[in-house]
Amino acid sequence: MELFNREILLALAIFEILVLGLGFALSGNSYLMLLAAQVLLFAVFVATWNIIGGLTGQLDLASSAYMALGGITTSLLWMRLGVPPLLGVFAGGAVAMGLAVLIGLPTFRFGVKEVWYALMTASLVVILNNLFRYTMGPWDFYLPSKWGLIYLRPRTYFELFLIIDVVLVIVILVNVYISNSKIGYYLRSIREDELASESIGIDTRSYKLRALAIYSFITGAAGFLQIVIYSSFSYRLFDTSLAISIAIMGIIGGLGSISGSIASAVIFRTLGEYLRSSLGGVFPGLDLLLYGIMLIIVGVLKPEGLAGLFNQVRRWLGK
Amino acid sequence: MTPLDLLVAVVQQVVDGVFLGLFYAIVASGLALIFGVMDIINFAHGDLIMISAYFTWLLSMNLNLDPLLSMLLTLPILFLIGLGIQKGLINPVLGKEPLIQIAVTVGLGFVLQNIALGYFKAEPKGYPAPLFSGGFNLGPFVIYESKLVSAMVSLAVLILLSRFLAKTKLGLAMRAVTDDRASAMLMGINVGRVYLLTFAIGMVLIGVAAGLWMEMGQVTPYLGTSFSLVSWVAVALAGLGSIQGLIISAIIIGVAQSLGSLISPSIQMAVVYLIFFFILWFKPRGLFARR
Amino acid sequence: MASKRSRIPLIIAIIVVIAVIAAGLGYYYYTSKLSPTPTITPTTPKIEKVVIGIVQPLTGNYAIFGQEAVNAAKLVVDIINNELGGVRSLGGAKLDIVVEDAGTSPESARLAAEKLISQYHVPIIYGAYISRFTLAMGTVTEQNKVILVTDALVDDLSRQGWMYFFRVAPQASSHGVSAVDFVLDEAKAHNVTIRTAVIINEDSIFGTTVSNGAHLELAKKGVEVLAHISYPYDITDMSPIVDQIKRLNPDIIIAIPYFSDGVLFAKTAKAAGLNPVFIAGAGACGFTDPDSIKAAGDAVLYYTNTYSYNPAKPTDWNQKLVKEFERRYGKMPTEAAGEMFYSLFTIYEALEKAGQMFPDDPLNPDHLRQAFLSLDLNESNSIAAQLYPTGRIKFAPNGDNLYAGTAVLQVQLINGTLTPVVVWPQPQAGVQAIFPRPGT
Repeated sequence: MELFNREILLALAIFEILVLGLGFALSGNSYLMLLAAQVLLFAVFVATWNIIGGLTGQLDLASSAYMALGGITTSLLWMRLGVPPLLGVFAGGAVAMGLAVLIGLPTFRFGVKEVWYALMTASLVVILNNLFRYTMGPWDFYLPSKWGLIYLRPRTYFELFLIIDVVLVIVILVNVYISNSKIGYYLRSIREDELASESIGIDTRSYKLRALAIYSFITGAAGFLQIVIYSSFSYRLFDTSLAISIAIMGIIGGLGSISGSIASAVIFRTLGEYLRSSLGGVFPGLDLLLYGIMLIIVGVLKPEGLAGLFNQVRRWLGK
Repeated sequence: MTPLDLLVAVVQQVVDGVFLGLFYAIVASGLALIFGVMDIINFAHGDLIMISAYFTWLLSMNLNLDPLLSMLLTLPILFLIGLGIQKGLINPVLGKEPLIQIAVTVGLGFVLQNIALGYFKAEPKGYPAPLFSGGFNLGPFVIYESKLVSAMVSLAVLILLSRFLAKTKLGLAMRAVTDDRASAMLMGINVGRVYLLTFAIGMVLIGVAAGLWMEMGQVTPYLGTSFSLVSWVAVALAGLGSIQGLIISAIIIGVAQSLGSLISPSIQMAVVYLIFFFILWFKPRGLFARR
Repeated sequence: MASKRSRIPLIIAIIVVIAVIAAGLGYYYYTSKLSPTPTITPTTPKIEKVVIGIVQPLTGNYAIFGQEAVNAAKLVVDIINNELGGVRSLGGAKLDIVVEDAGTSPESARLAAEKLISQYHVPIIYGAYISRFTLAMGTVTEQNKVILVTDALVDDLSRQGWMYFFRVAPQASSHGVSAVDFVLDEAKAHNVTIRTAVIINEDSIFGTTVSNGAHLELAKKGVEVLAHISYPYDITDMSPIVDQIKRLNPDIIIAIPYFSDGVLFAKTAKAAGLNPVFIAGAGACGFTDPDSIKAAGDAVLYYTNTYSYNPAKPTDWNQKLVKEFERRYGKMPTEAAGEMFYSLFTIYEALEKAGQMFPDDPLNPDHLRQAFLSLDLNESNSIAAQLYPTGRIKFAPNGDNLYAGTAVLQVQLINGTLTPVVVWPQPQAGVQAIFPRPGT
């Protein structure tokens, strides 16, 4: 199978034109531009999660742990040792990856799967949350007031949007590469039926670890951008509900579908903000209520997620 | 701190931990039943407890009843509500991808939280003068009435549940479905009916847990977050198999949490989850897993 | 294979064209904003209304505060517009408020601020109660030169070097200090010696800051702190902590709870028979507010807490506001409402001043800032100071109130009902602090 075939590259090019067009169109309004940047970053995390959740079928609920760990590492390297974040994010990714693999090795070795794996990863977030609070205190740590590309802290939201866009393109390419390569073939097999895969000789543990490593590295590296949006970090960055949201977006998008992941992240995150800003002040909680109802409806009626919808549209287009 | 002081502190914590663990056991029992029999991953378990707690509170305040008594009144209604939820919400996601179940139940959780927020507002609601609000000393140790009572009620209900599962026809059917759904169907068990009743009984257990909680504490729309993860950890730690297993694993959690608080209450949950980690590495499907 | 006539190329073409046009328009708009064309305005336009942005947590754990604050804001704006005739120095301009939900993360708080600035062009934003939300908002308001008046109490916020930042309410550490000063004052007045103390606090940055303020004050006054215990606010079991305190047997306990944990602590302490000389709360959450009293019953009898607002302050305007708030909303205004009362009236004073000092361009951020800094309010020259615990409002260069102080309320049995009453620094009429706790 050709790794990067014409159709995919074309789709990516169109996507990029749309994204950049949107960016330019919104650049005059700081509120919408910030929202677009936040939404796009969220899409980055969901698309990255697709590697472990969608392609490999593992119920990983620890993305916020890797995000926070990587982001905080990058930040501390900058604040304490003066390492510019443009380089520091690789260290951040490495640390997140290190922890993921350190825990993943015994976890996969001893065959912790399914719900148990999900709970383990969710617990990891809480453990790190508590440990961070215990060792570093409850304080908010502020990023230094230095701006520039080398600090990955641009002066305008538009530039931030562009940076995030670059990361998103990388994540898409990684997803495509894995999906169409031999690794992807094995991961899909593991996702479909791990037991059967093992019996035909696939080293499931090794491949799961690889997927975990890639996903945690990227998530850890991109975590710094989340801190840039918050302007500060604290133990609260280790947030279970954020990790669960990311996983849910991946599910709603359709497991394994990169376009579905991005679409669901964008749609729901934008919708969520729209509901918050229009209803949040009027009927507290109504926005979350509607969000919850939407989750239920999509989950019940269209479990293949948005990807299923896309396939239908594509078939209609092809006629 | 003298060694004797330390010993007293540790023993006190172990005692508190056992009481807490028994409470966690009843909290998790509804989840264990539903997950075991129906294989449903419900992330709204804590929120169901929250709604039941509000229900108990309403009855308590309006009828001026102790929460333990008003809890009894809520149980039959919760049974019926359980039937309703199962038919309407759970059935459609049976057998679907676990992550879809998580997504749908998380959505349900949001819906419940925000309905509660809209109706009851955000302030904590509690019953000011519960029957068992005192304590007594046993030598150097303190025994809290409410915790003692909740532990005893918990144990009693769990023993009843265990008997029910072992001796009654429905109970055996539930266990058969837990062990092997396909075979159970082949044996002529009406799995649909089992599911319906399982969820309803699960809601009753949730109601008991909520009532016991209202005797000791108060409810806010976000009470669920305090219980959801812990319940799941209790269930996962035990593995699917027996009520006794659940009780033991819940007690492990309770004691771990209480001893952890001696180091610092801020990391007590980290201690619990770390222990969970290590146990899972040795027993990937839970301590007492049967399948 | 027969060739399929696919619609895809056409659709792609349309999308690309739309995207390019939209991009072009947007970019033109963006660059045009960078260098505004000079407008010819011979006369300054009359200001019809001043829009104030309010960001509060209306969902999530802190919704209690946000909802109360918004209610208070509506009340104040009504009074200013209808009874006081608006901002007179601006030609009777009315006040209008736009409320945004801060959401549940710094991300949404930031969006709320951006929306208020870019869509409503507010000159002043009030909020956001939670310090990390306010921090995210503050980077936006400072960058855009929008005045931020905050009700978030964590000390760090006024240490950011922000210029357009003001805080009328007393910062977190002063709550801790107040609690200790109150206890030691009463101890002296009743001839009781306090030698040892235990501090417990919920472990967020707010609880920790308040507790550190208390710890330092205790140390300064020569009281030994036997233990300083922090715990997660959503704790479900307080018995290990209560057991530990019982073993330590301190003279006093300083407790900084959130809400549920406060009720839980009180109930657990009662069950354990924990009865030191005194238990004092700090940080305005828990113990003495109407809902905590309702939930805890007489477990919270004799507990105190510090507040940024004194609802029993006997000045005319304060009593008027309290009565009106109770009439409208059925409950007494507490912390969040009180902060809104005096902060919003301070904003009103600043607007009046700005109108007087800079009649040509009163809403210019630097002019507004100067107006704020020039304020020196007391109970006879302003409504705002009448609503403030110490009766004086004047800003230091970093934005904090130089005369910040708290009030202490205590739960007492008045005519058979559990009622919170002000006991310090000036007890309300007919009341005095009950110290030490009966039974010790």
